[in-house]
Amino acid sequence: MFASVLIANRGEIACRVERTARALGLRTIAVFHHEDRNAPHVAMADEAHLLQAEVPIAAYLDIEQIIGIAKAADAQCIHPGYGFLAENAAFAEAVEGAGLTFVGPQPDVIRLMGDKIRSREFAEKLGVPVAPSVQQDDDLDAFVVAATQIGFPLLIKAAAGGGGKGMSIVRSANEFAERARIATGEAERYFADGRIYAERYVERPRHIEVQVLGDGNGAVIHLFERECSVQRRFQKIIEESPAAALDRELRDRICAAAVDLAVNSKYRNAGTVEFILAPDGEFYFLEMNTRLQVEHPVTEIVCGVDLVEAQLRIAAAEGLPWQQGDIRQSGHAIECRICCEEPQNDFHPATGTAQILRLPDAESARFDGGISEGQVITAAFDSMVGKLVCKGKDREDAIDASLRALDDLILLGVSTNVDYLGSILQHPAFRAGELHTGFVEEHATSLSPAPLDEADRAAVLIAAALAVDEFHKLVYDTPEPYASMSAWRN
Amino acid sequence: MAMSFTFTLDGEDHEISILARRPDLSLSIDGLAYKVSQAPAPDENRVSLTVDGRNYQIWRTWEGDRIHLRMGARTFSVGYEDAILAAQHHAGGDDILRADVPGVVVTVHCEEGGNVSSGDILMVIESMKMQVNIVAHRDGIIETVHVGINESFEKGTELISMHAES
Repeated sequence: MFASVLIANRGEIACRVERTARALGLRTIAVFHHEDRNAPHVAMADEAHLLQAEVPIAAYLDIEQIIGIAKAADAQCIHPGYGFLAENAAFAEAVEGAGLTFVGPQPDVIRLMGDKIRSREFAEKLGVPVAPSVQQDDDLDAFVVAATQIGFPLLIKAAAGGGGKGMSIVRSANEFAERARIATGEAERYFADGRIYAERYVERPRHIEVQVLGDGNGAVIHLFERECSVQRRFQKIIEESPAAALDRELRDRICAAAVDLAVNSKYRNAGTVEFILAPDGEFYFLEMNTRLQVEHPVTEIVCGVDLVEAQLRIAAAEGLPWQQGDIRQSGHAIECRICCEEPQNDFHPATGTAQILRLPDAESARFDGGISEGQVITAAFDSMVGKLVCKGKDREDAIDASLRALDDLILLGVSTNVDYLGSILQHPAFRAGELHTGFVEEHATSLSPAPLDEADRAAVLIAAALAVDEFHKLVYDTPEPYASMSAWRN
Repeated sequence: MAMSFTFTLDGEDHEISILARRPDLSLSIDGLAYKVSQAPAPDENRVSLTVDGRNYQIWRTWEGDRIHLRMGARTFSVGYEDAILAAQHHAGGDDILRADVPGVVVTVHCEEGGNVSSGDILMVIESMKMQVNIVAHRDGIIETVHVGINESFEKGTELISMHAES
């Protein structure tokens, strides 16, 4: 095992990696932008180094500076977390080039899977089903014609894409050209790669993904599936394992397809193969994420494993820590992503200060967080500030545990989606497992908060009024003669 | 007439005033009377409040001119503007579109002097990796586009000003 690790990330995932690394006896080395100087990932690490950058996000993308710090601090390996440089092949190469170990896949595998068009072709060759699709070449008109032949609705995506950027659902030929133009622009802006493609859009699809671990020499195991169908703006907000009411035989076929893909790419590291599952039971390869996933804790809970430990052991050439037969799913786990945003205002991101932060302390609840009380939430980074992961003996039990934990989670001073997550978990359709990626749009009306009854509204307003100094003074500090006068002046 | 304070909850204004202080505190909210028998100090974050005999456990904190509260697994945001702040705010007029989040301009879909209709997308901004449409709130003519493509801005910045068609 390594003696030290540099974590090239921030927020909850940096804290998550530090926890396991520390438990394994590694010296933990954090990096941070000035804006994050008071962040928990800095405080938790054995040592922390400042990254110079005007734009905060650029700090965590600065390959040269990060590797420079890693060498100066005598780090033996670099864990990239997710996002930022996690799926950047040039970074992986630079890390190896500097004589350090990259906790991740081989650079050429990152490149293959990072290119949505090439990875689809790779899957197709292996006999893994992919949705019918067409690529855009230079000729927009030809693209429109070819896309029309597949039939609408279609989903436009960026070849280098991720996170919903450059994605849109197109339902008719006359809006296709305009949407394609917008998507190309977005793809160029976000990924510096304007290539896009269109694939058949499956109505009411479920998002099912499989956690795999590979040793880099063709040995691969899977750790079953996760369901991430509840999404907003193409981004997951609630994930669970196992999937809700997924036929066992179908589940096994999906897991086998994921293993196939990882074996044939000689995959090294923890990885996730994503599929869409159509209502008719057909499933299609979506993409492979060559990193630790945000929602990895639900797998850790139901399988009783530590995926960061597995990543570090694989990177240290110790091989896979488990065999397929060691992996069993037990119970049910649900993750809620806690985001600073306004669900009633089209999920606009919100900024502010986390003035009060109280975490649930139930044994069934795990909070993977990256903020501390008093921390300012700015627009500089992603709006997700933590993940609440709860376990239960079955799905129903995990839902109830999650609802209790959400009730106990107090994050005040900035708008969050905490109440909204609660209303999803309580929704009869969610409880019934009637999930698909359009869930929040389909149930938009019933997910809005119910109107307050008059007594509760009064309590809220009075609590607010008594927080106002002038008001409180009028109530309590008025000199005696006036105090009794105003009672009957009204 | 006793001094009344205005609070905003879910877009609606509520008038609160003091009816009586003794023997029990009695408050009026929009003309209805409520008896408050246990009232917390203004700087307490975790408060226990009894209104008309019912007890409520509430967390609360200030953020600018808003009070955030959490009660019974629900979060509320109550607006409070004192008179001076309110006067400043309304002097700005209604025809300035401001950024309610900090961010950067992605695209501009209108030009100065151009006619727009209510609901038109005037600008697309990006904040925390999310795109947000700035939409015309009325029919009118664009007066000034204050920020250009790729320019970043803080929360509250004027993005676009417009006026009614003459």
